[in-house]
Amino acid sequence: MLAQSIFNGLVMGGVYALIAVGLTIIFGVMKVINFAQGECLMLGMYAAWALHRATGLSPYILIVPVMTVMFLIGQFIFSLVINPIVGRPPTDFVVVTMGLAFVLVSVIQLIFSPTYQTVVTTAKNITIRLGSVSLGTPRVIACGVMIAAVLAVRLFLKKTDVGRAMRATAENLEVAQMLGVNTRRNFALAFALGVTMAGLSGLLLTPIYYVFPNVGMPFKTISMVIVVLGGLGSIGGAVLGGLIAGVVEAVLGAYISPDLAPAGIFLILILVLAFRPEGMFGKGARKA
Amino acid sequence: MTKEKPSPLKPSRLWKAGILLAFVVFLFLFPRMSSSNYIVSIGVTFCTFACLGVSWNIIGGYAAQISWCHSSFVAIGAYTGFLLFNHFGISPWISVFAGTGISAVAALIIGSISFRLRGPFFSLCTIAFAEIMRVWLLFQKNLTQGANGLVITFKQESFVNLMFRKDDAFYYILLVMLILYMLISWLLQRSRPGYYLRAIKVDEDAAESLGIKTHRIKLFAFVLSAVMTSAVGTIYAFFLTYIDPASISSMDLATRIGTMAVVGGAGTLFGPMVGALALVPLSELANVLLGSSGSGMLLYGGLMIIVIIFRRGGIVSLFSGDGAPVPALLKKLRGKGQAKNGGDSGA
Repeated sequence: MLAQSIFNGLVMGGVYALIAVGLTIIFGVMKVINFAQGECLMLGMYAAWALHRATGLSPYILIVPVMTVMFLIGQFIFSLVINPIVGRPPTDFVVVTMGLAFVLVSVIQLIFSPTYQTVVTTAKNITIRLGSVSLGTPRVIACGVMIAAVLAVRLFLKKTDVGRAMRATAENLEVAQMLGVNTRRNFALAFALGVTMAGLSGLLLTPIYYVFPNVGMPFKTISMVIVVLGGLGSIGGAVLGGLIAGVVEAVLGAYISPDLAPAGIFLILILVLAFRPEGMFGKGARKA
Repeated sequence: MTKEKPSPLKPSRLWKAGILLAFVVFLFLFPRMSSSNYIVSIGVTFCTFACLGVSWNIIGGYAAQISWCHSSFVAIGAYTGFLLFNHFGISPWISVFAGTGISAVAALIIGSISFRLRGPFFSLCTIAFAEIMRVWLLFQKNLTQGANGLVITFKQESFVNLMFRKDDAFYYILLVMLILYMLISWLLQRSRPGYYLRAIKVDEDAAESLGIKTHRIKLFAFVLSAVMTSAVGTIYAFFLTYIDPASISSMDLATRIGTMAVVGGAGTLFGPMVGALALVPLSELANVLLGSSGSGMLLYGGLMIIVIIFRRGGIVSLFSGDGAPVPALLKKLRGKGQAKNGGDSGA
C-alpha cells in the first residue's frame, strides 16, 4: 500500500514538476512569479480538448500543435499585459497576473460554459504493473514527457545561443544588456516558454482530469509551493520539489484523508520557509 | 474625518472637507432614500467591501505587500462568530474579539515566516495559507459542516445577536465601522509606523539602512490588517446568515478585496472606499447583465490589469494628480528603445 502510494505520488509529482518548471523559467529570467500559471494549464487543457474534439486524435499526438498554440498564447499575453509593466515594482506583476488569472477563467467560462468536459483515450484503461504496484498509463506517460521536457529545456538553455542569452539575462540583467542581449525579447521568450510548459502539463492531465474553467486553481497553488520548496529559480529544485509534493499528497491522501492532502503540502511549505527559507535545494542547483 | 484636521483651512481644503461632509451625510441618509431592501443590501455590501479594502490597504497598499489571504481572515471571523453563536449562544459582539484574536495569531505566524524573505514570498505564503484554511474548513465536517456551510436561523429582532428584520441596521453598523476604519487608516498614515510602511514600499533596503525594523513594522501592519478584516467578517456573516468555504474563504473573495484598493488607489486613504463605491454597483450591474455565473470576476480581473498598466494610482489619482506615473503606453509611444529595466526600485 505504501509502495503504491509512493509510486502514485511520484508520477503525479511529475506533472506538478512540469508546471513548476514553467514557473521557474519565468522566475529565473524575469524575477517575477506568474500568478496565472494554473490558468495557463487550464488553457492548455482546453486547447487539447478542442483539438481533440476537432480532429478526433489522441491528445498525445496533439502535443506539438498544443505546445505551438500555447507558445503563441504566451507571446500574445506577454505583449498585451506583461510587456507594459516590465521594470515596474514586483507588486505590479503580482496584481496583474492575478487579474489575468481571473480574466482567463471568466473568458473560458463565457466561451465554453462551466460544464465539465472529458477527453477520452484508450491509454486510460491500460495499467502498468510493477510487481505489486500498478500505475495508470496516462500518469506514467505524463511523468515520462515531463522528464523529456525538462531535459530539452536544460539542453536549450545550455547549448543554444538563445538559451545562453536567456541565462545571461537571468544572471545579470544590466551586464546582459550592455553586452547587446535583447533582454526584452528574452523576457517574452521565457514567459512564453513558461506558459507552454503549463499548457503541456494541461494536455498531459486531460486523460486523467475533467476539463473545466476552474481546474487550474489547485495546480497553481501546488506549483507555487513547489517552486518555493525547491528554491526559487532552480529547475532541479522544482523537479525534486514536485516529486516530493506528489509523494506527500499521495501518502497523506491514502493514510489520512484525500481532502487534507493539499493542506499537508502547504504545511511543509511553511515549515521549510521557517527553517530553510532559501528552499530545500536553494544552493548548488543551476539557475534557469 | 478630514474636518478634524487642525491645519490651516485653505480654500481647496475647505472644498474637500465640504465634499466629504456631504458624502458622509449622504451615506447616513442613504437607507432613508429608498424603501427597497435590495438597494439597502447593496449599501451593506458597499460598506463591507469598503471596510475590507481599507483593511487590505494597510498591508497591501501602504507597505505594498500583496496579500491573497484576506478571505481567510473573513472566514475566521465568520466561522468563529457562527460557531460560538450556534453552540453556546454567544453574542457576535463578543465573538468578534475571539475571531480577531485567532486572526491575529494566524497573521503573526504567516507574517513572521514570510517577511523574513523579500520579493514574492509573502504573496506565495498567503496563497498557501488561504488554501490550508479552505481545505481545513472543508475537512472539519463535524465542526464546519464542510462544503454545506453553516446557517444561523432568525429567531427574533435583537441587537445583541445581530438579527434584524431589515438590512438598515446592518448598514448603519457597518457604516460606523467604515468611519472607524477610515479613522484608523488616517491615524496610521500620519503616524510613525505609517511613514515607515511607505518607506518600505519605496525602498526596503534604504528603509532598513535608516534603522527601520522592517520585519517588525510589516508584521504589525499585517496583524492590524488581519484583525480589522476578521471583525468585518463576523458582522458580515451575520448579515449573510449563511456561510460556506466556497464563498467566504475563496480566492475570488481575496482578489475582490484587493481589487477594491487597487482600483480605487492602493496606498491612499480614500482609495479603497472609492474603489468599493465604483466596483460594488458595477459588479451588481455585471451580475444582472452577464448573469451571476461567476463571470463577474471578469470585471475584477480586467480592471485590476487595466488600472495597473495605465493608472497605477487608481481612481483617486485622477483627482489628486499625484502618485500616478506616466502611463506605460505613453512611454512606449515616446520611444520604444528606452531601456527601463535598469531602475527597479522606482515607484
